[in-house]
Amino acid sequence: MNWQLILTAMLPEHLLLVGMLAILGLEIRSGRPRDGFGLAVLFTTAAALAAFWLYATGFTGAPFLHHFSVGPVTSLPKAVLLALAIPVLLISRDDFAETPYYTLVLASLYGACLIISSDSFPTLFLGIEIMSLPVYALVLLGLLRAQSTEAALKYLVLGGAATATLLMGIAFLYGWSGSLAIAAFPYALASTDPLALAGVALVTAALFLKAAVVPFHAWAPDAYEGASAPVTAYMATIIKAGVLLAALRVFGTMPVVAPVAGLIAVLPLLSMAWGNLAAIRQTSFRRMIAYSSIAHAGYLFYALLGDGRGRWEAIVFYLIAYGLMNVLAFAALPRGADDERQDRLDALKGLYYRRPFAAIMIAIAMLSLAGLPPLPGFAAKFLVFKNVLAAGYTAYAVAGLVASYLGLYFYLRVIQYMFMAEQDPAAARGTPRRLAVLASVLCLVPAVLLMFFPGWLIDRL
Amino acid sequence: MAESTVLNLVLWLPVLGMVAIALAPKGADRAVRGLTLGVMLVQLALTAWLYQRYDASVAGLQFETRVTWIADWGVHYHVGLDGLNVLLVALTAFLGPLVVAGAFTAIEKSVKLFYAMVFFIQFAMLGTFLAQDLFLFYVFWEAMLIPMFIMIGIWGGERRIYATLKFVLYTAFGSILMLAAVIYLVWSQAEATGAVSFAFADLGAHPLSFQAQAWMLGAFALSFAIKVPMVPLHTWLPDAHVEAPTAGSVILAGVLLKMGTYGFMKLGFPLFPDATRAFMPWLWTLAVVSIVYGACLALVQTDIKKVIAYSSISHLGYVMLGLVSLDLVGIQGAIVQMVSHGLVAGGLFTMVGMIYERCHSREIAAYGGLAKILPVYSVFFVILTLASIGLPTTSGFTGEFMALLGAFNAAWPQYQAGQALPLVMAVLAVSGVVLGALYMLWLAQRMLFGEVKAPHQPVGDLVAREKAILVALVVAIFALGLFPQGPLAKTELAARDYQQRVLSSRLPEAAP
Repeated sequence: MNWQLILTAMLPEHLLLVGMLAILGLEIRSGRPRDGFGLAVLFTTAAALAAFWLYATGFTGAPFLHHFSVGPVTSLPKAVLLALAIPVLLISRDDFAETPYYTLVLASLYGACLIISSDSFPTLFLGIEIMSLPVYALVLLGLLRAQSTEAALKYLVLGGAATATLLMGIAFLYGWSGSLAIAAFPYALASTDPLALAGVALVTAALFLKAAVVPFHAWAPDAYEGASAPVTAYMATIIKAGVLLAALRVFGTMPVVAPVAGLIAVLPLLSMAWGNLAAIRQTSFRRMIAYSSIAHAGYLFYALLGDGRGRWEAIVFYLIAYGLMNVLAFAALPRGADDERQDRLDALKGLYYRRPFAAIMIAIAMLSLAGLPPLPGFAAKFLVFKNVLAAGYTAYAVAGLVASYLGLYFYLRVIQYMFMAEQDPAAARGTPRRLAVLASVLCLVPAVLLMFFPGWLIDRL
Repeated sequence: MAESTVLNLVLWLPVLGMVAIALAPKGADRAVRGLTLGVMLVQLALTAWLYQRYDASVAGLQFETRVTWIADWGVHYHVGLDGLNVLLVALTAFLGPLVVAGAFTAIEKSVKLFYAMVFFIQFAMLGTFLAQDLFLFYVFWEAMLIPMFIMIGIWGGERRIYATLKFVLYTAFGSILMLAAVIYLVWSQAEATGAVSFAFADLGAHPLSFQAQAWMLGAFALSFAIKVPMVPLHTWLPDAHVEAPTAGSVILAGVLLKMGTYGFMKLGFPLFPDATRAFMPWLWTLAVVSIVYGACLALVQTDIKKVIAYSSISHLGYVMLGLVSLDLVGIQGAIVQMVSHGLVAGGLFTMVGMIYERCHSREIAAYGGLAKILPVYSVFFVILTLASIGLPTTSGFTGEFMALLGAFNAAWPQYQAGQALPLVMAVLAVSGVVLGALYMLWLAQRMLFGEVKAPHQPVGDLVAREKAILVALVVAIFALGLFPQGPLAKTELAARDYQQRVLSSRLPEAAP
């Protein structure tokens, strides 16, 4: 064992672990089941900086050969993911003062980091499970309404099904190749052996389930609606990013060919269309965001149709733009005591006249999620469809663009409610929270930079 | 280069204005109005300087800036003036201060946001005209929707939500298919040459099969035709115009609609020449249908704004006719007609706004005999009416006459060669002039003459600010009508280039 290597290469993971232990230690020592917020933010920031440092120095190494490796390709997404978690933590304080919340979030982030660095299926599996398990508890932790229990249970059961599917797929692939290395997956993609293809299909299906791609999406609206705002933001950005990075990891740079290409093309396309259409009917903000995230999962998986470098660029850029905007929307969202009432889209009516800053932030987030230029969501969408088209799937690219058009209306409706509707006199004004404003600014500044200089990021991907 | 710096300043001044407004304290409405007007006037002065410096004897781009924006995709921040956009940029800068001054008393709600949106629109419109890179063009083109959505939606009339959503959803549908065509075009270019580039200049070179051209022209044309708008894609326009606040209507009619015809002229037709020529009969027909159908609809409206909205469809039909005539006179006429329509329709919408502010009605039937109680208003209204009809000495005459002349120039040889359709269409297009006289004069007659009728009496005549706006417009209309040589000279080389490119072929060489 090379301890030096393990210490350096896994520095972000170690910092998260130390953070968890510190929070737990603090709780034991002080005897108060509160706090942990400061430590969580501190250690997540430290972990993000450590990942940036690893990326900047171009550190490459494999502390656990064939299981866990680190390189610029893994450090950058880690840094991005951990950085995105900071604003999510900042908006959590008002909903969660309890220590367990912060421990669970750090644990989940640890899992996401494992996924990104995994070289073998067991590591990947561990990563996915460590990332998901705390979230089942997080959904329940707020217990805002009676339905939260049902939502968490649904999420747990379907998450379990995904786990089983993933394991089955891994077993098939192991049976076919005799190897647990992730590198075996791209070969299975190109093979015609039914065993290999069954393994690929099962692994892909498990990822679809975790990322809520149609027809495996049913859990998402309930879970998003039942969870509290910060947890929803966490699920919509970090969990989605983790799953997509897992997909990127297993698909590698190998082009997808028929019959797997059909799976990657059709289901995400359905996901875009159905997510965008179903979102139109929603009256709850978080449910709407859930359907929106189903559509976005579609765009993200679509990018896998592209070639190796293109899909990497598209997915990472998309995750950054999408994550920033989702967190921005939740950070700016006014919070009230009565969650069920506050979550209704109607509650946003006339928001601009009560809280102009919040309304403008949410408007920017919605326009970017809709993919309207000049906001970064446009460049992200452009990257995805550019890849799909360049890979020769012209008809799918056009169909996908039309499906993305379907989503325009419901994003605009949010703006319509905030700016153009009469104010509901009973609507709670809500006071601007300093931490939420800080979180908004943390999301807005990189988004504006990305809007003016998308090339800077693209050149580095 | 000093000029290119000034050009960039012209483009980015609105953004500086937006930042200034964002920093302005709450309730400083007067200061915000003054600031906006000041910035717009500075922009106009700089544009006038550039316009005057623009050298008509040089072909191609002038005062250009080209900086790498997204290196990986070959996207550049590339802006510059050429013969096709120089007049439109001047028009946009000219209407800017008039729009702002016209809204001084009309907009009382959320003043800061309103002027920020005016700046946003100005930025996006200028960017669309100046962009010489397809990615940049698309970004500006589509970004336009955001401020327009907000402007109609917040400060519009009763059915503003319906109108604004209809506007955005219509336009965005065209744009999304255009985006697919843009990506396809750029990647087919990359495959042909090995280097990705979005520069307009690079996209017109590589060979394209007829089928590919036809599909892409279809996608571009759908997007542009919705914006123009051409019948049958026009149904968003009356709603948007009627519900928009005056400033929104002026911007829509004055500049925004020209983005569609400009798109055809700059991109749609020259990029896909073979497909364009194959679809010529359809294009002629659609242009003339727009002229005649728009005029007929204008005839039967009861709402003043709707009359002018439908007249816009008719007048932009002439622009399309001039463009598809592929005759030099017709093409130049189309460009002049764009500017002329911007001035005239912008002026008419401003005047409707003025009377609406006083009487809160846009029904034609609610008015009568205004000439007796509002003499100054009526004089200006008659001048604009005559300019809209295309009376000689006004800009409307120059534009319509040249476009029609171009159409006949092109149609006659075709008729002699056995193709009657263009000539029939050109003859039908002339009927648009007659119908135009009919609906505009009838509108003026019902409003200005006869028994005195107004919903809110007594009505005050125009104040100095309003007179200043209208005097500026009328001077510009006569200037373009009486001395069109200067502006025409600036467009000539670009018009020739357009003509040549649409007449050339970019089909792949037949395999030996």
